[in-house]
Amino acid sequence: MPCDDRISRRQMLKRLAAGAPVALLVTVFPKLAFGVDRKPGEKRPLYAYAVDVSRCIGCCACMRACRSENDVPAGYFRTWVERFRVRGNGEVQVDVAATDDFVFKATPAEDVVKAFFVPKLCNHCEKSVCSQVCPVGASYESPEGVVLVDKKHCVGCGYCVQACPYGTRFIDPVSHTAGKCTLCYHRITRGELPACVLACPKGARMFGDLHDPKSHLSIFLRQRRYRVLKPEMGTHPKCYYTDLDLEVI
Amino acid sequence: MTIMTASKEVGAVRPDYRHAYPLLIIVALGVTAALIVRHSLVPKSFGQYGFYRAAALDDEKARLSRHAGRAACAECHEDVVAVHARDAHGSVECETCHGVGGKHIKDNDSPMARAGAKDDCLVCHRLLDARPGSFPQVDWQKHYQFVGVKDNATACVRCHSGHEPLYLDQDLRKARLHPLIQECTSCHIGRTDQTLKKPDGHPQIFQCDYCHPDLAKSFAKVAHAGLRCTTCHLFVKENAFSGRIVRNTNPRFCLLCHRKADFKSDAGPPTIEWPEHIKDVSNDAPDPKRPCVTCHQAQIHDLYRKDAQHAM
Repeated sequence: MPCDDRISRRQMLKRLAAGAPVALLVTVFPKLAFGVDRKPGEKRPLYAYAVDVSRCIGCCACMRACRSENDVPAGYFRTWVERFRVRGNGEVQVDVAATDDFVFKATPAEDVVKAFFVPKLCNHCEKSVCSQVCPVGASYESPEGVVLVDKKHCVGCGYCVQACPYGTRFIDPVSHTAGKCTLCYHRITRGELPACVLACPKGARMFGDLHDPKSHLSIFLRQRRYRVLKPEMGTHPKCYYTDLDLEVI
Repeated sequence: MTIMTASKEVGAVRPDYRHAYPLLIIVALGVTAALIVRHSLVPKSFGQYGFYRAAALDDEKARLSRHAGRAACAECHEDVVAVHARDAHGSVECETCHGVGGKHIKDNDSPMARAGAKDDCLVCHRLLDARPGSFPQVDWQKHYQFVGVKDNATACVRCHSGHEPLYLDQDLRKARLHPLIQECTSCHIGRTDQTLKKPDGHPQIFQCDYCHPDLAKSFAKVAHAGLRCTTCHLFVKENAFSGRIVRNTNPRFCLLCHRKADFKSDAGPPTIEWPEHIKDVSNDAPDPKRPCVTCHQAQIHDLYRKDAQHAM
């Protein structure tokens, strides 16, 4: 066939120059291209979570509540509490409660210079990698900013389990689909608190709507200085930690 | 270039695409079949909000809540919930100790867990190095030895009620601020400001004997000397420089240690029967609200009085 659709070098450069801003917009500033509205006062809620680490007493009531609310299979966790212990020589030990009764045993150690509990759960990232890697569209972010799994659609490939930088996902041995924290979506959409937030006796776990400036969470985040886990992953987590120590990040 | 000039020389020849028709038909059929299959396989609501099935949200919403919350408990157990909300366990939800309540609410015959064993309490109150220091924790073996409990299987609730563990007279959250703290704001205007210069003699607000040396001295001589001031004068620390103080005068608070019980030996603190004790020592009718310190002040410390004793 005749190659009459050739373009000149000049034309090529012109088209590249015209396309560059669009490509830049999409790749370098994805936020501009596909940004999420986070306007205070907007009607659509944007649910988020906060943990006041200094209040956690490591009772694991959250883990028990999550299990009974969501039927999490034995040996798997949607949320858990880690115990950090820093020894005199700088060594950091991290352990979790016994998996049967969720009770931290007193394991005395003399040279512990610092110890604290850190509750962990799905960070419900604004740019959730687990949703991005799902090949069938079973993992997604709801309009309220909650990262969920469509159990009917999930094929159990486990890509999301590998992708999550926080290790919050697992393959449910019963349904053979991805299991994770739903932020108790069935409860929060009825105006109830997530089970872990309800069960926490010290109020270490907090939940609320970022779009509502008067919500408990918005006020808490306004008054306290917070940080997120693994910010370098670029996932923009919506689980905010106050009084988080250096060893955890 | 050579081809184009050649075709011009021969004259305009219409390109012949007939050989492509069968291919086009096959491709068209394939695309149609693919579209039909896609239509039947992809759920209807897919793509409504994003690259996922919007109906999955409804599936998730349709699940039933199992935790009911204390408001639901209060519909039947109003008295317990009211007492509970006032005492030290006020921030603890009913279901944290008693398990989920959804089933019990629907069907009264399905009972809640009792949560009265020692291990149930130790879930939160076992002494652990990682627990915040302000949170009450107990080395239960030492504690049992101290109060003279004979049987290690004795439940905590034999002395401490789960609903009102400290028998507080008033709501913990409404307790008065420590009087000194009310003056903090004259320098600290709404902040614990690090830039403020610390004046000489700045009060140590969490160290009782700094401001109350006379009381601390007299307290050191009595039988209670081994206890901390905050064991009885509960000090609830609210933040770095603020706290509420609760002087608990409910007789049942004293009886936490001093009540006679079959599981206690003589090794512990002296015990009494109550309210029989009131009848034995007084002609007055037993008043459950009359504090023990009305008579037993001397065994605690010299009463803090602004007039006579304190000036000495």
